[in-house]
Amino acid sequence: MSFFSGASSTTVGGTANTSSAAEKDVEVVEPPSDSISSLSFSGQADYLAVGSWDNSVRIYEVNPNGQTQGKAMYQHQGPVLDVCWNKEGTKIFSGGADNAGRMFDVTTGQAAQVAQHDAPVKVAAWVDVPGAGILATGSWDKTIKYWDLRTPNPVATVQLPERCYTFDIQYPLMVVGTAERHIQIFNLSNPNTAYKTMTSPLKWQTRVISCFTGSPANSGFAVGSVEGRVAIQYVEDKDSQSNFSFKCHRRDSSPNSKDQALVYSVNDISFHPVHGTFSTCGSDGTIHFWDKDARTRLKSFDPAPGPIATTAFNRTGNIFAYAVSYDWSKGHSGMTPGAPNKIMLHSCKDDEVRKRQRK
Amino acid sequence: MAKKKNKQLIRPWCWYCEREFEDEKVLMQHQKAKHFKCGMCPRRLNTAGGLAVHIQQVHKLEPDNLPRIENALPGRDGYEVEIFGMQGIPAPDVADYKRRKEIELGLAAGTISQPQPKRAKIENRPIAEDELRRQLEEHKALMGHNQAENSTAPESSSGAVYGAPQTYAAPPAPAAPPVVPPPGMLPPGMPPPGAFPGGPPPFPPFMPGFPPGGPPPGFPLPPGAVPPFPPAGMPPFPPGPPGAPGRPPFPPPPGFVPGGLPPPGFGPPPGVPGASPPRPAAPHFVPAQMHQNQASPPPPSSTPGASQPATPAPPPQQPAKPEPPRPQEPVRQPKLTLPNPSLAQTNPEFKKPTDLKVKDANFSPEERRAIHPKYFYSGVDTSQPSSSHAEEPRGKKRARAEDFL
Repeated sequence: MSFFSGASSTTVGGTANTSSAAEKDVEVVEPPSDSISSLSFSGQADYLAVGSWDNSVRIYEVNPNGQTQGKAMYQHQGPVLDVCWNKEGTKIFSGGADNAGRMFDVTTGQAAQVAQHDAPVKVAAWVDVPGAGILATGSWDKTIKYWDLRTPNPVATVQLPERCYTFDIQYPLMVVGTAERHIQIFNLSNPNTAYKTMTSPLKWQTRVISCFTGSPANSGFAVGSVEGRVAIQYVEDKDSQSNFSFKCHRRDSSPNSKDQALVYSVNDISFHPVHGTFSTCGSDGTIHFWDKDARTRLKSFDPAPGPIATTAFNRTGNIFAYAVSYDWSKGHSGMTPGAPNKIMLHSCKDDEVRKRQRK
Repeated sequence: MAKKKNKQLIRPWCWYCEREFEDEKVLMQHQKAKHFKCGMCPRRLNTAGGLAVHIQQVHKLEPDNLPRIENALPGRDGYEVEIFGMQGIPAPDVADYKRRKEIELGLAAGTISQPQPKRAKIENRPIAEDELRRQLEEHKALMGHNQAENSTAPESSSGAVYGAPQTYAAPPAPAAPPVVPPPGMLPPGMPPPGAFPGGPPPFPPFMPGFPPGGPPPGFPLPPGAVPPFPPAGMPPFPPGPPGAPGRPPFPPPPGFVPGGLPPPGFGPPPGVPGASPPRPAAPHFVPAQMHQNQASPPPPSSTPGASQPATPAPPPQQPAKPEPPRPQEPVRQPKLTLPNPSLAQTNPEFKKPTDLKVKDANFSPEERRAIHPKYFYSGVDTSQPSSSHAEEPRGKKRARAEDFL
């Protein structure tokens, strides 16, 4: 039986809500030598691109049995902050603290710089424009730039109110989160002007934004903040009654109290590509799967020995990758030499990720 | 807050009979006794709705011939309005009452009603700010303007508009615009964004796909193909078997190198298939890194990184750098400065004792990390590719300005 067959078979039901020790998550071999900043699966095959603070992007192949193999690697001149694939799965893009966006061609093994900012490139994403493709990069220089990869100049530049911390694209929806809690919503059929500008529904620094669907009917996104909280926000005001937020990634200050006083940052939110459920991960080392419509938690992972920096589902949603890696939540002093730094692969069982019937 | 102020001037009053009371508790008692008392039994209900249900269910009266609410002013004796103490009073009636109260107390118009428009203003605020920000954007883009002024403007303007008590009933209306910002809301000077569904083509048309294999012009290629695997010090990845069975191979892209290549094995170019594990290719990297003058991880105090932190000067204007004539903020300092200190954020207070792990409201952990000597990338290209690099941003700067002109 293959490791990742769980998603299609429901024979393992019943024990899904606690991560049982029986079926252990698999560790990716030869992880980066420094913290992992970003994970991205190809949209075509089970290839995983990993960006790291050691300036490298590594590409691994994941076999059906969960085994991994290093396939390629390329370098930035500074730490890599984000990676993504193009739709065809032939190119990898990455943004780094060297202010550059780079492209790696998996067919030729060549890397080249394709984007340039005045400050580190925090996010990179592929915009699957019909008929062509565009690379979008968001930077701490308070801009988003769109690149067509053929000229060294961006095809368009969008000024943001503040430093870009995160964005996510579900074509044609793009939602950008910046410092000072600004959120700008773009319709990528008109990528130069924000469709809507708002202040984050959460009162603390925006950490991550993830769109759940781009369909105009009920498009929306999830926002995670440093204060252990996630908000589900719909784009159109007609859906505003469905907006809500919830607390997560908190711990009791002492085992006997139920005060949930230790509040950790939400580091990443990943939506399941098929079921529309999502994961959150935090500095507390936990991961949870949630169903936003039933407003329930589907699964909790056992706490990892270190913060979970980033997560990703593969294209079919049967593999869930997460990085146990230091996220600088305690500053430099939290960077202990023996701290775990690894990428784990979890085989998603169907009832961990499928939506619950709404009660 | 607004409510408290209200209470000092206006005491709780009963919507049904417009009588004033000491506090809301007494008001509720009054309403129970006078207005929500069932005429057919001693039962007293809390609300008009409750009374209606009671009469229908206990006394089996049809909903349409319920007795009117007792002791009520004409027009206010129906069951439609759910009143509970001071809650549920229709806004126009509140406004009306306050206006009469103002006259009665000899106060200037708006004295009492002031708090109310304030609330409307707050609801309205996002729009104004939003609009203003957009207006400011081009400005900022050109002059690095700060946003300090824009917070005052919307207040004064909306205050003027909503100060009039007649707008009480209106709050829903001003709240509506954000639903679909009509093109007219855009500040003058901004190109009208195309209507959403049928807008102008977003990007200039592109060639579908890329020039096969080739890097885009204008970017220096790192010397030598990227080595398939890691630089010295890392155990090389085993050259994997080409394509495990059952896995989708990469669809051959337009530029795919044809031939007998194993499809998914990307990494090494065909010339070096499965090359010898101890890669001699690794050295390729080193020169690339070196001449880019990168503060490489192992020695945190490498020269370029160290010289930068030593200068405590503020980021703008560093005459020492000879080459780049572009605005100096891109020359990064290992120091975080807020683009606009006046907009510094503070975390809100917690209601209960809380240990927030990430306390910084102004910078993300990644920003902090990126300035740590181990990771800091100075961005100063003193080396060979610098000429081309310096050219690019300058070109881009201009492009950006054009965007907004």
